[in-house]
Amino acid sequence: MNGALEHLSTSLRLHFRNRMALLYGYLFPLIFLVAFWVLYRHEKIPLLRHMGELLTVSVLGGACFGLPTAMVSERERGVWRRYRLTPVPTWVVVTSTVLARYVIVLTAGLLQLAVALAVGMTMPEHPVALMVAFSAVAFAFIGLGLVMAMLADNVPAVQALGQCVFLPMLIIGGVAVPLASLPEWALHVSAFFPGRYAVEALQAGVSGPGLGGMRFSLLALVLIGAAGCLAGAKLFRWDAQQRFAARSGRGWLVVVFAAWMAVGALAEWRGRIAVPVDAAERVTAPVAVAPPAPASLPTPAAVPPPPPPPAPWEKITEQDIAGLDYRVPPDEGIVSPIAPVDDEPIDFLAAQVAEVRRQLPNWPPGDEPNDIQAVRNLLYVAGVPDAIQLPSERYLPRVVFDHLTERYPKDKLIKILTWIAMHPEEGMVIDDISDLGIEGTAGDPLVVQERAYLYAIKFIARLTGRKAN
Amino acid sequence: MPANVVVHDLWKHYGAVPAVRGVSFTVEPGEIFGLLGPNGAGKTSTLECLVGLRDSTQGEIEICGLNARIAARAVKEKIGVALQTTALQDKITAREAVRLFGSFYRDSVAAPELLQRFGLGEKADARFDTLSGGQRQRLALALAFVNRPAVVFLDEPTTGLDPQSRRELHEHIRQMKRDGCTVLLSTHHLEEAEQLCDRIAIIDQGRIVATGAPHELMAGAGGLQTLALVTTPMLPMDELAGLAGVTEVENAGTAMRLRSRDVAATLEALGTLMRERAVELVDLQVRKASLEDVFLRLTRRETKEPAA
Repeated sequence: MNGALEHLSTSLRLHFRNRMALLYGYLFPLIFLVAFWVLYRHEKIPLLRHMGELLTVSVLGGACFGLPTAMVSERERGVWRRYRLTPVPTWVVVTSTVLARYVIVLTAGLLQLAVALAVGMTMPEHPVALMVAFSAVAFAFIGLGLVMAMLADNVPAVQALGQCVFLPMLIIGGVAVPLASLPEWALHVSAFFPGRYAVEALQAGVSGPGLGGMRFSLLALVLIGAAGCLAGAKLFRWDAQQRFAARSGRGWLVVVFAAWMAVGALAEWRGRIAVPVDAAERVTAPVAVAPPAPASLPTPAAVPPPPPPPAPWEKITEQDIAGLDYRVPPDEGIVSPIAPVDDEPIDFLAAQVAEVRRQLPNWPPGDEPNDIQAVRNLLYVAGVPDAIQLPSERYLPRVVFDHLTERYPKDKLIKILTWIAMHPEEGMVIDDISDLGIEGTAGDPLVVQERAYLYAIKFIARLTGRKAN
Repeated sequence: MPANVVVHDLWKHYGAVPAVRGVSFTVEPGEIFGLLGPNGAGKTSTLECLVGLRDSTQGEIEICGLNARIAARAVKEKIGVALQTTALQDKITAREAVRLFGSFYRDSVAAPELLQRFGLGEKADARFDTLSGGQRQRLALALAFVNRPAVVFLDEPTTGLDPQSRRELHEHIRQMKRDGCTVLLSTHHLEEAEQLCDRIAIIDQGRIVATGAPHELMAGAGGLQTLALVTTPMLPMDELAGLAGVTEVENAGTAMRLRSRDVAATLEALGTLMRERAVELVDLQVRKASLEDVFLRLTRRETKEPAA
């Protein structure tokens, strides 16, 4: 026990003395954080929707690069061989190494959380659930790290193996690229990677339903972690002269692959592939796919107690309008673009835009009795093509703007738009407007919501003669 | 409990290749015992089996009265080991290393005391990557002593050290003996084995080819003595080979080297021959067989054996 504690504290001290380890363990995740912050700078609450991804990157770096690098370099030097000459059993030293790594990734995660809070993120909604999720993620990736340490014969091999795990997980495993923007086949692939479950579980703790929404992810992570730890223990080698290729018991690797396969198969069987369930749950309202029957649309105002006599937007004051954040992306950018007035679409785009302009007055979601939801739905007609990045994204906002100004008196429209801009996360989301002839699905309803908010701000600026951006 | 080491019929195979082939020896309590042999002779493999780094293929090992295979952990509590190369983590300090390794044992020596003893008092807080070769080796020795061992195993402890560090290390090893430790060391330095060891086992191609005190081994080299002879002109080799008592003649360039079973008879016959041939004697040295002679003779014989 004494030996384990001394080894734990020595491992931690050595970690904090190793510049490279600090670089990979702390700076690297922070670079990701800054990149995400810049990339998603227009989101209402900075980084809140990306903490799952960022924390996953932290753990992945610490457990799948840091842990095997430290273990293999110590093995290469003969430190593990020296440990073996002492009466302390190998599993004690391995356990304290793993615990030290857990503390290390936890500090990296907390640092990331602290920086995120410092730049304006709100506190995680379920701190205990987040801690549970974090531990399960650490367990899964540390198990994987152990296997990598046993697979790699030297430190360069760890780097190569690490990249083989890290990059696919980042790109098509749902860690750095949102699942919603991936093609169908990649969603199936991601179900077999632990990264996806790590992000889901962590995000459920940060801004989702908490423990209840992460049951499957936790199960997947624990299964993958247990398989990794078992295989890592069975493949353990303390001497650099024992090469992996000459090692008996290599069959234990099958356990690791079997766990990944089992998790993927289970996800397929439970139908958890296509829809990023947790992402949808994060929205306060469910996702509706147009054309929804108007009667079936529960409006936020209508569902709870009976609507109060004055509509909520009527209470909007000049002060509210002036208090909005008009720092929005430029019209000529790729986020929430609006074509200049003299830029007319040509060819097929012209036909497509004209078709939307023709259909919009009769589009049922735009005719919703609740004015706020109706305007919101119309804003989605601009938001969806922008989220999918369709060629028509620059032209449709003007069609929507024209329709809105025709349909509503100016003052009323300004107030409704202001109310929407002040409550960007409320209401039903439409992420499919194929009935207007615009094919494609945005996938992530939160992106559509965010774009609708940006267009609301831009329209208010146009209506009130303010300068946006 | 006797601090002895008994090895009986030890075999170690790597795949189909035998590295240790039926090695047996006994180290008595309180002695310095040397395993001497050329590189690749099987010294390190033998030692690694003894200290529990490798499982032997066959054979019995008893250390401090305990069966090393059955009571492996109890044996590890009683032994100290310094491997040929002990590299620790770059950033660990000498004090931290001693404290860490001490924590792995039931009983351990305090870090300051141990570091002082091995001349590392001033380097206690120096990180491993800043220590010199000699300091690293002394730290390895300090780690071997952290649990007050009854038996110490040293695998080629002076390899790569400068003469000064080597002398210091020899003194440390002698001190171990004075403190009542049993020391088993492997080396390929004949001089080192001759100076330090109470007894030696010469190992070659995985087998023990001779065991005994250095002086016994030298005396036991068939009573052979060497004559180095320089004359002008040189005497013909065939005539030298025919002298009484001579078993072997070697042309060493300027000198002729004769090996003799009966030096008195050889010298007498040599005097007669020199007078007959009217050659002038320039130099004549007679010396007893050195450990090197014993070693070379034994290991050479061993290498020739398979062809015979």
